[in-house]
Amino acid sequence: MKNIISNLNKAFENRVRLGIMSVLMVNDEMDFINLRETLDLTDGNLASHIRALEEAGYVKSEKRFLGRKPNTSYSLTSEGIESFRSHLKALEELLKQ
Amino acid sequence: MEKQKTMPYFASQSTFNNCVMNENSSPLDDIRAIRKIMEESTRFLSISGFSGVFMGLIAIAGAIAAKMIIPESIITGQGYSESLASHPDGHRIIRLLFADAAIVLFLALTAALLFSVRKTRKQGRKIWTPASKRLLINLAVPLVSGGVFILLTAGRVPGHVSASLMLVFYGLALLNASKYTMTEIYWLGIAEIITGLVCLVFPGYSLWFWMFGFGVLHILYGLLMYFRYKEI
Repeated sequence: MKNIISNLNKAFENRVRLGIMSVLMVNDEMDFINLRETLDLTDGNLASHIRALEEAGYVKSEKRFLGRKPNTSYSLTSEGIESFRSHLKALEELLKQ
Repeated sequence: MEKQKTMPYFASQSTFNNCVMNENSSPLDDIRAIRKIMEESTRFLSISGFSGVFMGLIAIAGAIAAKMIIPESIITGQGYSESLASHPDGHRIIRLLFADAAIVLFLALTAALLFSVRKTRKQGRKIWTPASKRLLINLAVPLVSGGVFILLTAGRVPGHVSASLMLVFYGLALLNASKYTMTEIYWLGIAEIITGLVCLVFPGYSLWFWMFGFGVLHILYGLLMYFRYKEI
């Protein structure tokens, strides 16, 4: 029981972060605006949570220009994919209890 | 372990916010939220069932018009005459058939688009998302290839072959697009392909198969979606 709970990743406890990770698991990459609209969040809310995930090394960003507009697109690092998978597994284990 | 709180599962209406607001979440809620977000961010789920019914009716009207355009003498047990062009009135008939097809295509596309835009608004979603773009590309590539193929061979192949090609290419396009929208589209695609292939075997009845594939199947699909999800 203890083991399962310790497998739950603190970084994904927040629903917004859970949402960001879920979207990036099934979309190779997504830019800031589309992420914001998919998850129905405000700029500030998304920015702060995605920064936290970037600092944890789970998300990487790539800045580029679309014409003159800067555009940041996000994707998961392999560490992010691994951690999210084990987080999912831990959630499923919890359900089986 | 305490019993999980059961949260009603909103088929498609609820937005991510409903999940966000529920802060002390159970693992079950988490998994539901994850699954929902994964699905909604990869699939465009606002194709209106009603547009299916509407498209079907347009197709049936178009097929009836085609039946009136094509002279009875050309329709024999052997199928539509090898080439309409050899008929004394052939070129006029071909022009009328093209006009008929273009009007049907235009009305059907407009209906599909309008009803889907309306549905996205009702659901509080966006029409132009990464998922809808992927859906459009995956639908358009086989559909446009088929359209070009049919146009380039029209008049040089018997009419029932053109009818069959339309159904088969449309079915393949739906099959390909079904990964990016409701899964039911997959079965509509299979049904269209089967209808197209059977159409090839019964040359004299191709207009009926065309009417079944583009008319009846669309209407059935629309009604099925309506009764399954109770939404227009």
